[in-house]
Amino acid sequence: MKLSLNWLKDYIDPKLSTNELVERLTMAGLEVEAVESVGIDTVLEIEVTPNRPDCLNILGLAREIGAITGRKVNAPPIKNHKPGPLKNLIHIENKKDCSRYIGTLIGQAQIKDAPVDMKQRLASLGIGAIHNAVDITNFVLMETGQPLHAFDYDKLTGGKIVVRRAKAGERIVTLDGIERKLDPSVLVIADAQKPVAIAGIMGGRDTQITAETKNILLESAHFDMGLVRRACRMLGIRTDASYRFERNVDFDGVLTGANRATDLLLRLTGGVLSGRDEVSAPAPSGTAKIKVKISDIESLLGVEVTPLKVKTWLSGLGFKITAVSGNLTVVPPENRADIQQDVDVIEEIARMIGFDRLPLKLPMIKSVNIGVDKGPRAFKKRLRRILTAAGCDEIITHAMMSAKDLVKSAITDKTALRIFNPLSQDQELMRPAMLPSALQVVLTNIHHGQKDLRFFEIGKCYSPDGEKETLAIVLTGRRSQDWRANRKEPVEFFDLKGAAEGIFQNTGLSAVYEKASLASFDCGCSATIRVGGQQVGILGKIERKVLSDWDIKSQDVYFAQIDLETLIPTANPPKGYQPISEFPAIVRDVSLAVKKEIPYQKIEEVCLQHGENILKSVQFVEQYLGDKIPPGTKGLVFSCQYQSHTKTLREDEVSAVHERMVQALIQELSAIRR
Amino acid sequence: MPWNFDDLQNQVNQEAAGVDSLQALEAFRLKYLGKKGIVAAIFASLGSADGQQKAALGKGANDLRGCVEQWMARKSEQLTHAQASGERVDISLPATGQSMGHTHILTQTMEEIVAIFEHMGFVTVETPEIETEFHNFTGLNISLEHPSRDAFDTFYLDAPDPSARGRQLLLRSHTSPGQVRIMKQHKPPMAVIVPGRVYRPDAVDASHSFMFHQVEGLLVDQQVQFSELKGLLTEFCRRFFGPKVMMRFRPHFFPFTEPSAEVDINAEILGIQRKKWLEILGCGMVNPKVFEAVGYPQGKYKGFAFGMGVERMAMLKYGINDIRLFYENDVRFLKQF
Repeated sequence: MKLSLNWLKDYIDPKLSTNELVERLTMAGLEVEAVESVGIDTVLEIEVTPNRPDCLNILGLAREIGAITGRKVNAPPIKNHKPGPLKNLIHIENKKDCSRYIGTLIGQAQIKDAPVDMKQRLASLGIGAIHNAVDITNFVLMETGQPLHAFDYDKLTGGKIVVRRAKAGERIVTLDGIERKLDPSVLVIADAQKPVAIAGIMGGRDTQITAETKNILLESAHFDMGLVRRACRMLGIRTDASYRFERNVDFDGVLTGANRATDLLLRLTGGVLSGRDEVSAPAPSGTAKIKVKISDIESLLGVEVTPLKVKTWLSGLGFKITAVSGNLTVVPPENRADIQQDVDVIEEIARMIGFDRLPLKLPMIKSVNIGVDKGPRAFKKRLRRILTAAGCDEIITHAMMSAKDLVKSAITDKTALRIFNPLSQDQELMRPAMLPSALQVVLTNIHHGQKDLRFFEIGKCYSPDGEKETLAIVLTGRRSQDWRANRKEPVEFFDLKGAAEGIFQNTGLSAVYEKASLASFDCGCSATIRVGGQQVGILGKIERKVLSDWDIKSQDVYFAQIDLETLIPTANPPKGYQPISEFPAIVRDVSLAVKKEIPYQKIEEVCLQHGENILKSVQFVEQYLGDKIPPGTKGLVFSCQYQSHTKTLREDEVSAVHERMVQALIQELSAIRR
Repeated sequence: MPWNFDDLQNQVNQEAAGVDSLQALEAFRLKYLGKKGIVAAIFASLGSADGQQKAALGKGANDLRGCVEQWMARKSEQLTHAQASGERVDISLPATGQSMGHTHILTQTMEEIVAIFEHMGFVTVETPEIETEFHNFTGLNISLEHPSRDAFDTFYLDAPDPSARGRQLLLRSHTSPGQVRIMKQHKPPMAVIVPGRVYRPDAVDASHSFMFHQVEGLLVDQQVQFSELKGLLTEFCRRFFGPKVMMRFRPHFFPFTEPSAEVDINAEILGIQRKKWLEILGCGMVNPKVFEAVGYPQGKYKGFAFGMGVERMAMLKYGINDIRLFYENDVRFLKQF
């Protein structure tokens, strides 16, 4: 809302400098966002909150300034011309859509320029002058907040006004010259045949006032705020009138606006008042009496107040105070529909005291009795520590994606949650998986010339069953930058597995990896992750085809996704101290060749099965894939650590156990000793 | 000639530290222990001293000689060893090893905000992003006709709300539905913080994103004052922006609080020029209609609530000028924090 200070002075002289006025208005809840010089005038741009439609006009702001400064407001006198009744001029189909319509007919009007001072007032607010009739409607709108429209009465077919919903397929050319297609969601003002205005938004071109107009029909009405708002959105128009209707205009103001504009029209066009027709629903019940206890004011705000002071503040704001003792009974002004309960009145009192003058205290926070889900939050914090220590940067990506991105990532999820009103097709789905967002970030960085990337994200995946906390890890490019190594090695599967293992080891979990053929992954290099028998995630190398569809051409990408909702309940099992053996350990290396399809994990399992309680651990040393072993086999070297908690093991004891274990490997897995 | 042994001692220490070659070491030796050196000169002056002075001078000269000899022995070994091995590490070469990753600045900011309130006794609760109209609007006294319910201002999902016939689920447009959920489940007193993601169908530009983060706070008890809300948030801003922060509480409007306020901080303190006051959060006393919606007995409780945008706080604190940087995840951005 623009406030011209010259215009304001027609009604009140605040006796404040512009800076002081800006400060006082802002601190009373009417935030001044900009101060502009327009010619000899100064114009304030004020943000009026939606609960204060009464401040969307200069008189309303003058009243507010009157309350703040204690100075008197002089509203312009309106001469009541007592129009005679006209019959059957106005028809309203549904009074829920339009609860009040006052049509005033003025004959023998002379359309010419409006007086200079009126044009200047309007120009300060950025409103161009047209001619006296339209300028008056704009002037009264800005002065009182009541939107008005003036029709050329002789152009209304049948000489009447019908307030109705538009018919499907009806069209109107509005004042801005644009033809608009209407439908029954739009309320229109029609004559006997066709729409002549879009209710509360904009008039039609064909019935506008022109230099030739003789008879003016002045509309002052109250339209449903929701209807106007939706029609504005649908038609893509917003006007000074619609802005006020959307925020609701005052029922009584319809008459005030009609009278003020009639008075000005008669004076400035030299016209003659022909009469008036009004159709109206019963007036709304008006503002009710509200009881406010002084003790409630004090306990809510934390300050002491006297009934007298409160009375002064509230009457300044136009409240009627009907009783004063320890309690007040107040009636807010008619145009303050936002004041409904005692706290609303207390806010008015706080505004008049000034929020900044209320004291600062600290609340007493009592022990809070809420079953806190500290678990997941603490776990997520821990994940961040583990993964940043592993050199991964945290990313945060959008939870929405396109169906195309899913296809590109070879994810077929027909159940993905769709957004009903997406901004665009790029954000039509709530992501069912983390891979597409991760690939997008990889691609963006490669485009920016950064190819060595280690990322993780803790975000959510969505499905019709709800949302799930999910972890994604993505690695690509070269491994850590060590200038001593003469070749920069690319990351590989085991780097990714290492990042995942870091999580499990740090949270007291043991994970089992099972080779699996998974969509989006290279089938030779992908696995599921199981913890405590439950699948918690997947990891592996992303399939070439997926990468080329994403336009990631020259480097491999490794990706893991872990479902935290499944993992968290099993994480951090209670810990107990395990005694450390005081006796020395004996280490024996084993070198075997086994069939290529036997996973190393299987060998470790067999070893531990035959370790006869003294095999403490098996440590993998290396893999050999050359031609010095039988075709179809791989060479594996690992070392076994033997140790007892009760004595120093003898060499021969260890040798016997070790030999039996190797024999078991030979028999159970057809291993060949190398 | 009087000798000041304290000064001499300091001089020896200083000069010895600067010795970096065997030649310099020899010069050092000659200066103090040579035939024409300082120690010799002290001994030479003994003849002219009286008995008591003589004893003090003798002891001082001997101590000085001992000290110089000790220094020389150590230096000489260091220098000889370095010369023999010929090895000098260029310590200016880069460090090796996996460098640590960076937590996203939004996470850091959100955790910093949450931690301040946790230290003051608040408990953190996360509530879902997929919400019902009741939690997101109705329970917060946002009327059926309120514009924020429009499909232009809230993302709706193509999924029915199982708790309300004919209604669709939506993506929460603020973290305030967390208030309704928590109050429906718990009786006061309570002091909770609800951090999380929110969504609004805003076209993306330097200051708008259709997904962003908020932190919500709620305190409910039998006696709660607006002054306490002011005190708490003032303390928060001091801890977050530093003790010099200047702030103001300006009346505002939210359907779910009454009275309501917005908090501005003075931008000059942050070294931002543009506009003097910058809005950072919204707050107010919980509207009794919200208590009514969650089923609390009428008039029994009072409370306050506040909410702030994490992106905005991070942008102000670190001078980030484009919200899109947070979601682009360029490593050159990520690694700055």
